[in-house]
Amino acid sequence: MSDPLSATFAALADPTRRAILARLALGETSVTELAEPFDMSLPAISKHLKVLEHAGLISRGREAQWRPCRIAPTSLKQVDGWLGNFRRFWDESFNRLDGYLQELKANEMVHAAGQTKQRGRVRKEKQRGRKSG
Amino acid sequence: MDAKVDKTLKITTPSDLEFAMTRVFDAPRHLVFDAMTKPEHVRRWLGSAEQAVLGCEIDLRVGGGYRFTMRSAGGVASMLQGTYREIARPERVVFTERFSMPGFTSEEYQVKSSFVEAGGKTTLTTTILHDSKENRDGHLNSGVEKGVAPAYDRLAGVVAAMA
Repeated sequence: MSDPLSATFAALADPTRRAILARLALGETSVTELAEPFDMSLPAISKHLKVLEHAGLISRGREAQWRPCRIAPTSLKQVDGWLGNFRRFWDESFNRLDGYLQELKANEMVHAAGQTKQRGRVRKEKQRGRKSG
Repeated sequence: MDAKVDKTLKITTPSDLEFAMTRVFDAPRHLVFDAMTKPEHVRRWLGSAEQAVLGCEIDLRVGGGYRFTMRSAGGVASMLQGTYREIARPERVVFTERFSMPGFTSEEYQVKSSFVEAGGKTTLTTTILHDSKENRDGHLNSGVEKGVAPAYDRLAGVVAAMA
């Protein structure tokens, strides 16, 4: 699974799946329409579609009940540059981290100041205790 | 009192198998370390306009795992996951990592982050070690253009020709 193309090639190893892709290259269609030329049940076709979808070769619409299937040439290219753009991902993240660190620093200072105040109060109370006792 | 901090992200290639990212933060290193290793902190900053981080699980102990799930602006789900190998707060953390998305899973690589503090500022150096130059280049994305993308383009061409 570690080879980037293995899922794609595994998906393409089957002649039915290649035929499905060839049909989808003509335009999007429903599962029922796709199943027509094949001597296969709908669940069997659905299984093939799942493999193709997992390999990123097709996408399935959610906008309609019949979930149109279409070939996904853009998803084929999305591997390019992982994370969209590696550098931009970290650059933007670290810029946000700058702001967040200032928040953490401020929290820590407030916390430290609170502790000093509390220690002072305890000392005073102890002194008071000694005087009265 | 503050000298200007150069917040540029610098990327270098110390060897054929590695690349390194260096970034300076205006905060002591224990805060930078925690911000990068505690999920309640990571959720607050990790992610970009084109890659939103949806989930973040971290089991911060040697042998413990972590998993960040993401979704691109185009709706493609992906995941970064790995296992902690060394935890030396606040100096250093080492873990393995793998990136995956539908149709693509990267090789496992090693990530080492070191935190060096001076004058209240922290220099974070993250070194990413791959087991081949091709994978290193792929990660830096120059190699992907040369390697995988044309392969996919050819594939798309073959599929179109079958119609």
